[in-house]
Amino acid sequence: MLEKGKISAVQLAYVVFILITSLSVIFVPAQPAKHLAWLALLGALGEGLLFFYVCTTLAQKFPDKTLIGINDAVFGPLLGKLVSLAFLWYFIQIASYNLRAIADFFATLFPETPIVVFLLFLVLTSASAVRNGIEVIARCSVLIVPLLIFNYLFDDILLIKDMDFSSLLPLGDVPLTDFLKSVHAINSVQYGETVVLLMVYPFLSNIKKARVSVAAFIIAAALMAGSAARNTAVLGSLGPITTYTTFQTIRVINIGEFLTRLEILIAVAFIFMAFIKISVFYYASVLGLAQLLKLRTYLPLVLPSAVLITVFSIINFTSAIEAMHFTSETYPYYSLPFQIGLPLFTLVIAKVRGLPGKKKGLSP
Amino acid sequence: MIALVILAFSLAVIPETLSLIKKKYWRELAVFAAIYLAAFISSVLLTLGYELPSPAKGTESLIKWVFSLFT
Repeated sequence: MLEKGKISAVQLAYVVFILITSLSVIFVPAQPAKHLAWLALLGALGEGLLFFYVCTTLAQKFPDKTLIGINDAVFGPLLGKLVSLAFLWYFIQIASYNLRAIADFFATLFPETPIVVFLLFLVLTSASAVRNGIEVIARCSVLIVPLLIFNYLFDDILLIKDMDFSSLLPLGDVPLTDFLKSVHAINSVQYGETVVLLMVYPFLSNIKKARVSVAAFIIAAALMAGSAARNTAVLGSLGPITTYTTFQTIRVINIGEFLTRLEILIAVAFIFMAFIKISVFYYASVLGLAQLLKLRTYLPLVLPSAVLITVFSIINFTSAIEAMHFTSETYPYYSLPFQIGLPLFTLVIAKVRGLPGKKKGLSP
Repeated sequence: MIALVILAFSLAVIPETLSLIKKKYWRELAVFAAIYLAAFISSVLLTLGYELPSPAKGTESLIKWVFSLFT
């Protein structure tokens, strides 16, 4: 087996929490929903749980196989490898989108520093985590999540005096199509990306407990919806047109001219979360490629893949605005086959073919 | 700048290659060399100021084309 580490269902739930909330710290693709972004976040939870149910059902059907093994078993060696290649491309692209997102964010804070400095710093940190395997990534998540939850709640409390809840009204003035567009965009960026865990489930100590992560979905959704409502209540009509909404909201905090400039907490939180998210997708890409090419270890692929992820993150977009436009307009449709289409199709084919059948020395 | 990129790539390649040769992992070495070469070429081209095609732009065009089939 390429990966010898094992993680518990609770550790997986921490990873799920970070995968879901990571980008929301700075950006939620909910502009069409305007002041109802918080409601769109809750709506997306329903869609996300459906996607998660499909993926966990598939994983429980093939408990000792990663996505690459499942594709081989269900579609056959040739078509299976093509489907796996498409998934690996998708994973490496998400790693590069997230890397670019955090680098763009820091480039706005430090405009004199070349963006490549942030890219290299982050990708090399992730490379180190990926070399150490899924156990290390999961343990890092366990350390980070409590700090993030504290961060969310602490900011909410400090902003209570600046909130105007009338900004959240009226509830019915956003067209249904715009609202549903936001719901799907949020799901594709936040909940739907948990499809990557199909590369991780075989390393779970008890696959039957994979659905413990539903708790992470619900807690993450509650915190993100609370944070979106807070942003709207603080920024009012400016909220939906602000680039980094949460960051701008936290800037408002001013407790007696003493507790100010707390936006640095958001920047720090985003570094940690992006580090975990990039590491998970990066890990899935290199592990998947090693399995696809039947290598004995994935370690030699870590360093060159880091360079490729960095190159992709440079050439994909020319600016942060272009990246955000892609995330809101194109990505929700591009991600659809990977997040639900192919997993659901694989599940149906496996059911029709009566797979996995009887076990005979399966390997991931 | 280009000299720095070449130096960084040359230094990074040595430990991994030696380790793979020592273990006689030839298949792994071949894959490593292929990906490393792709990474090296793309990095050098970027450093020299060449504009590489953006995969995101390709994805955007693909999605637009798919939508045009239905409208």
